[in-house]
Amino acid sequence: MSAALGIATRSLRNIRRLPSAFIPALLMPVFQVVSFSGTYSGVTQMPGFPTDRSVNWYLPMAVTMGASFAGLGTGFSMIRDLQTGFYDRLRMAPTSRRQLLLGPYIAAWVRACIAVVLVTLVGFALGARPVGNGLGTFSLFIAGLGMATIGTGWGLGLAYRFRDMRAAAIMQLTLFLGLFLTDAQTPIEVMDGWLEFVARWNPLTRVLHVARIGFVDGIGGADLLIGIVVIVLASVGAWAFAFTGLGRLDD
Amino acid sequence: MSSTTQSPIVARDLVRTFGSGDDEVRAVDGVNLEVAAGEVFGFLGPNGAGKSTTVRILTTLLKASGGSASVAGFDITTEADAVRRSIGVALQDAAIDPLMTGTELLRLQAVLYGIPRQSQSERAGELLERVGLSAAGDRRVGTYSGGMRRRLDLALALIHEPTVLFLDEPTTGLDPMSRMSLWEEIRRLNNDGTTVLLTTQYLEEADQLADRVAIIDNGKIVREGRPEALKTDVGAPTLLISVSDDHTAAAREVLAEFGDARPTAEGTLGVGLTQGAGDVSNVVRALDAKGIAVDHLELRAPSLDDVFAEATGHRLEGAS
Amino acid sequence: MSAMALSRRDQIGALSSRSVMSLVRQPSLVVPSLIFPLFFVALGTSAFAQAINIPGFPKVDSFLDFALAGSVVQGVLFGSVTSAAALATDIETGFFDRLLVSPSSRTAILVGRLAGAMIYGLAQTLFFTLVLLPFGLSIRSGIFGLIAMMIGGLFTALAVGALMSAMAIKTGSSEAVQGSFPLMFILLFFSSAFFPRETMDGIYRRIADLNPLSYLVEGFRSLTIEALTVTAVLQTILIPAAISVIGIALSLRTLRNRLAAS
Repeated sequence: MSAALGIATRSLRNIRRLPSAFIPALLMPVFQVVSFSGTYSGVTQMPGFPTDRSVNWYLPMAVTMGASFAGLGTGFSMIRDLQTGFYDRLRMAPTSRRQLLLGPYIAAWVRACIAVVLVTLVGFALGARPVGNGLGTFSLFIAGLGMATIGTGWGLGLAYRFRDMRAAAIMQLTLFLGLFLTDAQTPIEVMDGWLEFVARWNPLTRVLHVARIGFVDGIGGADLLIGIVVIVLASVGAWAFAFTGLGRLDD
Repeated sequence: MSSTTQSPIVARDLVRTFGSGDDEVRAVDGVNLEVAAGEVFGFLGPNGAGKSTTVRILTTLLKASGGSASVAGFDITTEADAVRRSIGVALQDAAIDPLMTGTELLRLQAVLYGIPRQSQSERAGELLERVGLSAAGDRRVGTYSGGMRRRLDLALALIHEPTVLFLDEPTTGLDPMSRMSLWEEIRRLNNDGTTVLLTTQYLEEADQLADRVAIIDNGKIVREGRPEALKTDVGAPTLLISVSDDHTAAAREVLAEFGDARPTAEGTLGVGLTQGAGDVSNVVRALDAKGIAVDHLELRAPSLDDVFAEATGHRLEGAS
Repeated sequence: MSAMALSRRDQIGALSSRSVMSLVRQPSLVVPSLIFPLFFVALGTSAFAQAINIPGFPKVDSFLDFALAGSVVQGVLFGSVTSAAALATDIETGFFDRLLVSPSSRTAILVGRLAGAMIYGLAQTLFFTLVLLPFGLSIRSGIFGLIAMMIGGLFTALAVGALMSAMAIKTGSSEAVQGSFPLMFILLFFSSAFFPRETMDGIYRRIADLNPLSYLVEGFRSLTIEALTVTAVLQTILIPAAISVIGIALSLRTLRNRLAAS
């Protein structure tokens, strides 16, 4: 365990020393919750909208996006380490490849927690109110950590495969598309047309539902279960994608 | 050749290609190596000759496309982890994170090599002292000079007291003082029994440090042996002369009578004097008879550069 | 005098064709400013299809008609930032200084740079409209309205380009100019670019009321969803034209300061 922790400690220390690489990824979801809740404050008046507070709808989305940025951030750092050659040092060490991979994951989880807490606090300041018991806030964390795990595997896998900034562009674009082609903006029930179909089948919609459980009506235990299954499967898939990518570095 | 299992570094027909089809480049093209325990082995060649690629293969960073190799008695493919545990490596571009301090890097390295927590700090302190960086240990590496980075890199490679050390161009870009102090340290390590494989593009470095040298060019080893023996094999000393431009062709003709032309830097003519140093006066007289004035004249005993030139047809130093 | 004027026109022509070509040759810079606005329109048309019935929403046939104006302004804004970043790159590489010591007039250099962006702004307006027409977009104000919108797009590009150029000249860093992308997002989201002001609450409503971008977008929107009126045409063209005048004055002043300092 200690090798992974050592690698994670270094990553976290570096974001403290070079905050300019971390702050934008933190401010982005804050901006999202502020701007979406404001610009689209009228959406709750659509018939069938499951909450009367727009921030209740957009806070979980911003949290999920912010957490995915935490994953991407570790992908970006990995590209830098690969390009400067620092990663050769880690690869030459007799450390198990699992530990090498786990290091950036731990860093991403810590970053995601910071993002989730900050965005949630901003959301509450804007008037977000959980429905039902306090477990809703807890499921925000589950969705956030899940999304960070998926994003980290995806980001690392791409970084290992491309080893340059092309990976960064693909990471950003795919996660951006993936997260917007969901019910990020409005519930599936009020949509019309193509997005309704895409969002229904996009697995990330299920992750968003986990985040929303405590904030909108009409999402229940079954959604939580499906969402967690999706998170676990996607995380395992993303980990495998990263792990095979790491193995390919010596090709 | 039967003693392969004992030698700390053995490579057989090592090949590494990049790209495919018409773009295929054979960066390493059938390299055979055997480095004996306690030896300093110099891998000499210009940029892009295949030195670094060979080192990356031997240190498990890169897969070979063909051939086999063992390091510290372990196969680099099937026993990569055991290889990693046995070797220390300092790579060409001193891959150290500028945001970290020297001590932090050493601690991380100690963690990666499974050094027990309680002895990590002590080990880090020892190594910093050994390479003369005790005072700079808590400073960020970004503030280090080139020489300090290389010394830190060396310290990092030593964290687990490896028996085999790979140094990829350890002194490239360093000032003479820093180079000397690094050489001193490498000698000290070798005296303590560490086997060292170092790559370099500096002849002097190979001459000074290496017990044996392999000259690599275009992915192939073209000469291998003790520096002294290699130089003796080249034999004839080189006479270098420069004349005014309009006399160059005539001078070249005259020189051809005294031995084979040797590759030289631009603006200079070189000849390997078949009859030895005694022929210098004859050369001067012959040139004089043709009315060719000599601007500059220099006699060089055979050097590794001559060995290199003889083997590859081009010079390593002064060639730009 | 006329020879002077001609040569100046030639200079502007040469510089602006260079700036247009530099956009055409770097599709990776241009494509995002075409694709992203269209993506958000496509997304919004499906996601907010039923939002057109909520109280305060202007009377439209579909969300697509409503969304065109926002996407045009968004696209032009991003395109202009790219142009200004190219100017900053010219400054970084020293090309700009070479222009300044050439006999070209400073106004020619600046306008030449911005003329490229202006043509692009006009083209973007037409592009978004043409692409969305098969999907059911209707321009209520007809062909004249579309022409007015294209002129509005041209001036919007000039306005943003001039303001951004002032920043490019002041900082001389393309990174700083690219860094203003988030600022563009903030301006857009706190305006009525994506949703009507009438549906917003409290502080958001007040910010959108104060944001000049709201009125710019609403000019374009009136031309899309209502019959042609003089007011809408003037709103679409005069607002960006006025900002352009301010932007150009600011750029020229920044340039003078830069030259005085060096």
